[in-house]
Amino acid sequence: METIIRLESISKLYRGVPAVKNVSFDLRKGEIHALLGENGAGKSTLTKIIAGVVEAYSGTMFHHGKETSYATPNEALKAGIAMVFQETSLVPSMTVAQNLYLGSESFLNRLRGIYISAQQFLQSLNFAVDPAAMVESLGAAKKQMVEIARAVHHNAEVIIFDEPTASLTPEEKRHFFALIRRLKARGVSIVFISHALEEALLLSDRITILRDGELVATGETSSFDRDKIISAMVGRTLSAELYRQRDESKLRKPGKKILSVQDISMSNVVRNNSFSVFQGQITGVFGLIGSGRTETFKVVAGIYKRDFKRGGTIELDDKPVRYVVPREAVNDGIVYVTEDRKAEGFFETMSIAENLFGGLLAAGHEKAWIINQKEMRTLSSDWSKTLNVRAINDNARVVELSGGNQQKVVIGKGLVQQPRLVIFDEPTRGVDVGAIAEIHQIINRLADEGLAVVVISSYLPEIMNLSDRILVCRQGRIVEEFSPAEATEAKIMYAAVH
Amino acid sequence: MIFDPILDIFRGKAVTIPPMDGALRPNTALDDANVAASLSEPDNLVVLNGELIASSGNAIYRLGAGAEPSALKTFAAPISALAVSADGELAVALEPGRLLVGEKEIELPADICCITVLVYGADGSLYLANGSIDTSPALWSQDLMAKGSSGSIWVLERGASSFRRIAGGLAYANGLLVDGKDLIVSESWRHRLLRIDIKSGGMMPVAGNLPGYPGRLSRTENGALLSIFAPMNRLIEFVLQETQYRKTMMRDIPVESWIAPSLSSGRSFLEPLQCGGIKTMGIHKPWSPSRSYGLVVQLDAAMQPVSSLHSRANGSRHGITSAVVFDGSIYAASRGGDAILVVPEGEFH
Repeated sequence: METIIRLESISKLYRGVPAVKNVSFDLRKGEIHALLGENGAGKSTLTKIIAGVVEAYSGTMFHHGKETSYATPNEALKAGIAMVFQETSLVPSMTVAQNLYLGSESFLNRLRGIYISAQQFLQSLNFAVDPAAMVESLGAAKKQMVEIARAVHHNAEVIIFDEPTASLTPEEKRHFFALIRRLKARGVSIVFISHALEEALLLSDRITILRDGELVATGETSSFDRDKIISAMVGRTLSAELYRQRDESKLRKPGKKILSVQDISMSNVVRNNSFSVFQGQITGVFGLIGSGRTETFKVVAGIYKRDFKRGGTIELDDKPVRYVVPREAVNDGIVYVTEDRKAEGFFETMSIAENLFGGLLAAGHEKAWIINQKEMRTLSSDWSKTLNVRAINDNARVVELSGGNQQKVVIGKGLVQQPRLVIFDEPTRGVDVGAIAEIHQIINRLADEGLAVVVISSYLPEIMNLSDRILVCRQGRIVEEFSPAEATEAKIMYAAVH
Repeated sequence: MIFDPILDIFRGKAVTIPPMDGALRPNTALDDANVAASLSEPDNLVVLNGELIASSGNAIYRLGAGAEPSALKTFAAPISALAVSADGELAVALEPGRLLVGEKEIELPADICCITVLVYGADGSLYLANGSIDTSPALWSQDLMAKGSSGSIWVLERGASSFRRIAGGLAYANGLLVDGKDLIVSESWRHRLLRIDIKSGGMMPVAGNLPGYPGRLSRTENGALLSIFAPMNRLIEFVLQETQYRKTMMRDIPVESWIAPSLSSGRSFLEPLQCGGIKTMGIHKPWSPSRSYGLVVQLDAAMQPVSSLHSRANGSRHGITSAVVFDGSIYAASRGGDAILVVPEGEFH
């Protein structure tokens, strides 16, 4: 089979720290090549070198056997290499159609024509996205769909997907997998970075595993299984520990009812939703995209406002509350850890210490006009140690951290506010297997300490493993509650879709 | 927000129903339960001389293990409540407001016309819950729609010749339990349980915000069993807010077609839109709002819910009017399901 891309002894340094060390890699025509590894293993860096986003420090890249190096993503795109980024690179203030055609516009554009062809194109991919919608109004999953559609639209011969399914629902994933297979049938070569190992095993022809920037294993997918991949990635067997079925006796008993939501409504997204949250327990919330689970908890956290007329009631400690701004919720001890950490979770150009201290400022625990540097450093060092944030030092900018460490900073930023109710929205989205275990430990520890914890997740094994009770959201309301001991993936999914 | 009570005047108060979660997490325990006996509209369950008996219409039935129910006694009018004293004396309340203790009819004050519950105290006093002064127990939905609050609690102390009123102004007293020097009372239309001092009549809520209409209570080893005979429903709550609509409905429409809670539903296509019941491709969604529901709640010693047995919107064992522990099992009378159900006590969810 013809080799399209070949990398030989590629290395890349960031501020003197090697991200990729002497890695060789090849991509054949019409194959799906899964690239696996913990966050920080160098997968994104390696693919960014191929796509011309970053330049290699040493080593050689061959495209169709010809030594080459792309200076910009546009140059790589013109040569037929497209990359779908883990974090969206769309223009938020433009419509979906405009984003699709960005860079390939005609001299004179007819907006209506663009919308019609974009609609047809999105439909051909089975993506339910309105081409006239502004990208900033889309949820994470739909942004991801647009991103994928844009890569496909450019007729690339190599498409690199960095965590493409992290924010997709199981149903959307099936469509996505079908799309990948169609692309493969058309001879497109695909590099597929994923933390969902089943997906890699299901989809790929070959697997390459990186650890700490080095190549650990590569070979045909048939020669790998889940445990083998995980032990190659992290050097330990994690699967049983991470996603085990809960035993009834090990479930935490509910403490005092801290939050009672009764019939809250917000437009047509949240409809008469009612549920309670108890102290000392993890309440898992599962729902497909569009089920209103995120929006419901954003209403609880004061980020969105419920309907003014007949919008229901929210009671915190049996007292009705209606927050005008999120800060009021924070003052009442409610913390929402966002699903979109890059846009809403942290200040990417600020340091870990500044981000953590920002959490204190937001809660009003500190005076905003006098910043005590010593206190900030102490706070940062304490929380970095507690949450095991791995960085060169506390002055490292958050943007330079891996996804898992960024997520820990976002969690830390919330926890410094001394909450009583913590809402985690997709806490392990785009996070490597090792960091998932650590984040799960943090969440469990919070519940053990008596906090009320809510975990919203689209990943069923995570919900089943973490939760002491599972709520299923469908069409804007909680429709079912399961005990993790009796729940099965099929039961939960049935409640979510029927 | 502090302005909410003022804003509610203009925008309307939110219609809210407490969620069924935590101790009230839905399950299918009542639908999965075995049928101890099939009886038409069974109502009150009590234990008489080591045997479980149930009222149904005008008759009291004996429920022998493995045998068909046999009629123990029949009366001229429908039975609304039963009680058995410690020495085996049977008290029977008949509609509309008659009371027989043993075979002897007791004269009742004029206000008592809707006897919903009878309970004997340890000292032999007979306590009585009067749901309303306007309606009979069979017409309970009329009292709800009229927003009645004329219920009262009475006692016939041992050796006394007449009943003494303990408390009044209750929005349909429909459950009674003697708890030392106090009574625990279900106040159906206010969705709560009250603790009432027998001597002074002082009231204190012990459990509120229940997601349905609480009914009869019975004692268990560690607390009590509470039967919730109908669920709260958003549409019904809305109708209860709309005074003019409600009055017109009560005046012009037959009772069975009212938008009101019920002990059973789905039996007639003439029912008012099954009150929002959702059925898709022939499958009735268990979480959909419904007019009727089956719910037995286990309460702890502090009368707080601990666990529950359910028959959900798509189930058929609705309208639980009485539940007792007998012989290590929970027996529940499903008036809407025409059955007496039995669940081993250890299987309480």
